[in-house]
Amino acid sequence: MIIALPTKTSGEKSFISDHFGRTNYFYIYNTETKLGEAYINANKDGQGGVGVKSSEFIINKNVEVLITPSVGEKSLRVLNEGEVKIYKSIEKIVKVNIESFLNGELKELF
Amino acid sequence: MKQLLILSGKGGTGKTTIASSFIELSKARAFADCDVEAPNLHLLKHEGTKISKPYFGMKKAIIDQEKCIQCGLCKESCNFNSISFDGTYTIDEFGCEGCSVCEFVCPVNAIKMVDNENGEMTVYKGNSVFSTAELKMGSGNSGKLVIAVKNQLEENLTNQELTIIDGSPGIGCPVIASLSGVDMVLIVAEPSLSGISDMERIIKTARIFQVKIAVCVNKFDTNIALTRKIENYILPLDIDYVGKIPYDKLVTEFTNRGKMFVDEDLEVSKAVKSIYKQTIKILNS
Amino acid sequence: MNIAILSGKGGTGKTLLSVNLSYLAENSVYVDCDVEEPNGLLYYKIDNLEQESVLTKIPVINNDLCDGCRICSDFCKFNALAFIKGKIKVYNDLCHSCGGCKLVCPQKAITEIDNAIGVIKSGQYEDTFVLSGELKVGEESGVPIINRLLEESSKLNKTVFIDSPPGNGCTVMESISNADYCILVAEPSIFGLHNLNMVYNLATVFKKKIGLVINKTTGDPIINNYAKEKGLKILTEIPMDFELGKLNSEGEIVSKIPKYKELFFNILETVFKEVN
Repeated sequence: MIIALPTKTSGEKSFISDHFGRTNYFYIYNTETKLGEAYINANKDGQGGVGVKSSEFIINKNVEVLITPSVGEKSLRVLNEGEVKIYKSIEKIVKVNIESFLNGELKELF
Repeated sequence: MKQLLILSGKGGTGKTTIASSFIELSKARAFADCDVEAPNLHLLKHEGTKISKPYFGMKKAIIDQEKCIQCGLCKESCNFNSISFDGTYTIDEFGCEGCSVCEFVCPVNAIKMVDNENGEMTVYKGNSVFSTAELKMGSGNSGKLVIAVKNQLEENLTNQELTIIDGSPGIGCPVIASLSGVDMVLIVAEPSLSGISDMERIIKTARIFQVKIAVCVNKFDTNIALTRKIENYILPLDIDYVGKIPYDKLVTEFTNRGKMFVDEDLEVSKAVKSIYKQTIKILNS
Repeated sequence: MNIAILSGKGGTGKTLLSVNLSYLAENSVYVDCDVEEPNGLLYYKIDNLEQESVLTKIPVINNDLCDGCRICSDFCKFNALAFIKGKIKVYNDLCHSCGGCKLVCPQKAITEIDNAIGVIKSGQYEDTFVLSGELKVGEESGVPIINRLLEESSKLNKTVFIDSPPGNGCTVMESISNADYCILVAEPSIFGLHNLNMVYNLATVFKKKIGLVINKTTGDPIINNYAKEKGLKILTEIPMDFELGKLNSEGEIVSKIPKYKELFFNILETVFKEVN
């Protein structure tokens, strides 16, 4: 399974970003290979619709689960079309959230 | 760190007045004004060193007159009627939406999209950190600037317990941007037909974000019947009603003299204090 | 003649003035340009409103022709196009109708169709013709609706009162661009002053004739001092009046009541004199 999280800095020890659309990085983690990779969010300075672009980006990375504090209405629509499941983050740190998710401790956002 | 956002839907209901009182009561050391089209919080609350920088929101087109061969293709292609011809072709700075169609159609590459300065960001640093910004006239779409204001606050923070954010009016993009990442929203409603319809819309928007929501009514005694209508609307919802504030013309008088009315012995101050206590209780629960 | 009523922020009495001035003026039109939060029809209660959609162009993708090159979605500055599960999807409410995607598509796979972004409602209320625009929730820009409202009202050859949106953004500029006179409304507080200064600058950029109404006065001269400094004409001062506030909050047109009629009538007379 492939998991994505919006993050402030790169890496698994980073803090989660509050803004999915305008996050600095995406951390994308593969639960089978146990490998994670950070990607710069190239669209974070767009004037509008950045949530759509962020959603498009992770969908095209074959992400199945997004862990985030919140998402806007527009991102939600795109993520639904891409069949991405959304879970609400509880802790600040990326790594902790991934562990919590794998332990079934996170709640689905919608 | 907990974030409290104060919203209203309709403008002029007393959002900034409540926000500044809460800052005073809580001695919050971190606050932001996300009403970037008409920021007011800085008129009441600021201390420390002021640091400002320009904000570049969107790109707009400019025409290099040396290269332009006056073919008129750009004017013809602009769906916003923002290119005019008066001896030379020029772009209307206010009308340009930055779509870059003109840049694409220009056969001689005379059009470039350049960064447009459409606002200013300011942070006040002292005992507290206060982040604010103001858009230039005619600059729409401020969601991006709202996020920039919140980021600016965060960048300047050490570990603060409470952050208070004065939100934007309406229900559009800036409000959504101010909502992301907050723990709780306090909606300041007003007993008027327009105030109620706007409150209903803002509740719908806030619910999408699954944050704690509380409502208070300001100037409740200007229309008791409509205040009751608001109370009845909230009752069946899983939203906390944290109280009502009477109208008092002294609030404006104190504010105009740069004083905080919550420090005074007034009915209205008591009401705000009680709302503050309840709000903080819910925020920390 | 076009008279625009504006204020830096909501809740200062913009709609109160626009509704009552248009109600008292003969052969008048009331136009509600606050398309995100239209409230004029709460006062002008009209039973059989005519309703008309406002259309803009949005792209549709012919998936037989599209080869998934994504040039369109890369070009779109508004992020209204995204490549999801092998297809280009169009997000209508982000589209600004610039036509760029259709222009850049190498496969000619994009055509444009009409998309309703909101409605214009209209009807007659006694002597006043009422026009109101409403933007669909979630749509980005109300400018096309405002343009249609102004276009409709200018056809009528009457005295038009334009209830502008709050703030100083592009929708406000649109709504005052053809005004012969701007009435600025402000409250006597430091907030009111700051917001007044904002719309005053806007109106002067457009070189408009300006008059000022101070609403909910309590005796504080903060706005009067500003007006003096700027040489701004004060049309009237409306004292803080609970009864007026209550009636207005319930959607009553207060100038129907004799004791309030004169107040608004005087403003109207002064404005007419100023314009001519």
